[in-house]
Amino acid sequence: MSRPNEHLAALFKVVRGGNGSDSPPRRSGPGGVRPDLPLGLIGLGIVALILLWGALSSFYTVQPEERAVVKRFGAVIATADPGLHFKLPFGVDKVQLVKTERVLKQEFGFRTQNVEGDRTEYSQEDHPDESLMLSGDLNIIDVEWVVQYRIADPMKFLYHQRNPEGTLRDISESVMRRAVGNRLGSDVLTTARVEISNSVRDEIQEAMEKYDNGIRVVTVELQDVVPPAAVQPAFNEVNESRQERERMINEATKQANQEIPRAKGEANRLIAEAEGYAIERVNQARGETVRFSSILAEYRASPEVTRTRMYLETLNQVLPKVGAVYVIQNGQTGPIPLLNMHQATPTVVAEEAR
Amino acid sequence: MRTTILLVVSALILLLLRNSLFVVDQAEQAILVQFGEPVGSVITDPGLHWKKPFIQDVRRFDKRVLPWDGDVSQVPTLGREFVLVDTTARWRISNPLQFLRSVRDEQGARTRLDDIIDSVVRDIISGTSLEEIVRSKDWKVDLKSLEEELITRQDVALEKPKKGRELLEQEMREAASKLMPELGIELVDVRIRRINYIDSVRAQVETRMISERQSIAERFRAEGQGRSSELLGEMSRELRTITSEAERKAAEIRGKADAEATKIYGEAFGADAEFYAFFRTLESYSTMGANTTLMLGADAEFFRYLESTRRRPAGGR
Repeated sequence: MSRPNEHLAALFKVVRGGNGSDSPPRRSGPGGVRPDLPLGLIGLGIVALILLWGALSSFYTVQPEERAVVKRFGAVIATADPGLHFKLPFGVDKVQLVKTERVLKQEFGFRTQNVEGDRTEYSQEDHPDESLMLSGDLNIIDVEWVVQYRIADPMKFLYHQRNPEGTLRDISESVMRRAVGNRLGSDVLTTARVEISNSVRDEIQEAMEKYDNGIRVVTVELQDVVPPAAVQPAFNEVNESRQERERMINEATKQANQEIPRAKGEANRLIAEAEGYAIERVNQARGETVRFSSILAEYRASPEVTRTRMYLETLNQVLPKVGAVYVIQNGQTGPIPLLNMHQATPTVVAEEAR
Repeated sequence: MRTTILLVVSALILLLLRNSLFVVDQAEQAILVQFGEPVGSVITDPGLHWKKPFIQDVRRFDKRVLPWDGDVSQVPTLGREFVLVDTTARWRISNPLQFLRSVRDEQGARTRLDDIIDSVVRDIISGTSLEEIVRSKDWKVDLKSLEEELITRQDVALEKPKKGRELLEQEMREAASKLMPELGIELVDVRIRRINYIDSVRAQVETRMISERQSIAERFRAEGQGRSSELLGEMSRELRTITSEAERKAAEIRGKADAEATKIYGEAFGADAEFYAFFRTLESYSTMGANTTLMLGADAEFFRYLESTRRRPAGGR
């Protein structure tokens, strides 16, 4: 407080002294200057205005997110932290405020239009000049990105480079194109994103340090990285066909999964059937042989009778069932129908025919 | 009267001060010029400085790194593609005296820079293939990702560039810097800001990219079909294996059973072969049905007693 006050007081004295020196105090008294009173008032007013200007221009405020660079006669004499500060008035000391704490942002390929409300709105306008670039395999890629930075050193920011933010913009574009140009388009679209944003950040930072312009790059974030609009459907087609490939493979697998277990079941059925047949066949054989053996035992007791009995019994069984029986006489040409089972009343005609 | 003189004197003093004191800004350097001729050394310290009033003039020059932005120019590369090249450069006034003599001011410098850098950029770009300009010296191809997509491009070699972008930019700077000392300028760097195809080439490249993608898509589809056929073939093989093995096993089982049955039959029937023939024949007679026509000889055993009931020998006819 004391310094500017002293200064003002000195100034006031100089102004007063100047007035006093060009005419003795007695003459400026009530004597001859009486009619000049309005002039004195004007003088006083001017002095007051000068005082006011001096008072107003002798302090400045630095906001929390800012730093001040103080220049005296063009030369930087200090930088100041947030708070209230004093300086030489009347434009001797000039103050430039730089927002050092705020993270600033540059957008490439798109523009944020409105950040008020709950959702950030982006301008519909495209900036193909900024975002279209060539990949290493000479394909075209549309890359949108953001560079976030801070002004770390306000003095350097103001006095080491003209328009450092424009330079940041130029360098960002150049470096991003180099990074994308150094990779295959397919990598840029997929796996290399993180790598690119890190290497671009480091490279921009390196350039800024070379210019020593006080900018510190906080981060580089890739936004939309896409093929150019005209090619996008073809890229989608690739994705679709990849899905289609999976689908076809899945369908074939599904069919195999359906049919093979069924075939296995079928195979088991075949085998089981064969086993059933085997059991049946053996059992049949056993049964038949047992029957035969027992009949054989009976037959051996009285072979002649048994033979005849069996023969006649069989004919007895058979004859009613057969369609027709013909009897052939030795030396006779036509056969004689003996029985005709298809006639309404079966008649024994053998005797009559004879 | 004295007041007037004092006023005049102080006004003169003020005028004198105004003409002999000058401020050099932090961002500036200055040269004093006397009758058009630079005098003294370059003032680089910012602050208040003195000069001879009225006869000396102050010329101020920026001390900082200054931007230069080139026009977008259309240049053919070595491969005859036309590309749009946008370059940017940074420079500073390194020798204000020389600068003052040769180009006077920044505007003059800018036109000279335009001429020099533009022509250097054109020279270098048109003598270099596009790959060289786009890629950098640490270019490496991830062959794995190439295999994944199987891009076979005839028009682009995937080798490492001989120079690469940084070296080209460096060459540009060096070539342009040759002429800089006589302008009093130091070129800090020259960079390719943007490089892109001209519109007509761009359309072609996009068409090429589309067909490339389509061929990849086609390959995926064919792969799907191939894999599907393979799977179905494997399935068919497995099905046949399963079925035929089952059939073989079944036949084996049946065969064994038949063999066993035959053995059983053989053992039992072998006891009296003649009786078995008789027995079995009678059995097969009993299977005759309605659509059978039976022919019997008149002297058959069956009719023996139809003619007479006389005793006859049982076995004879």
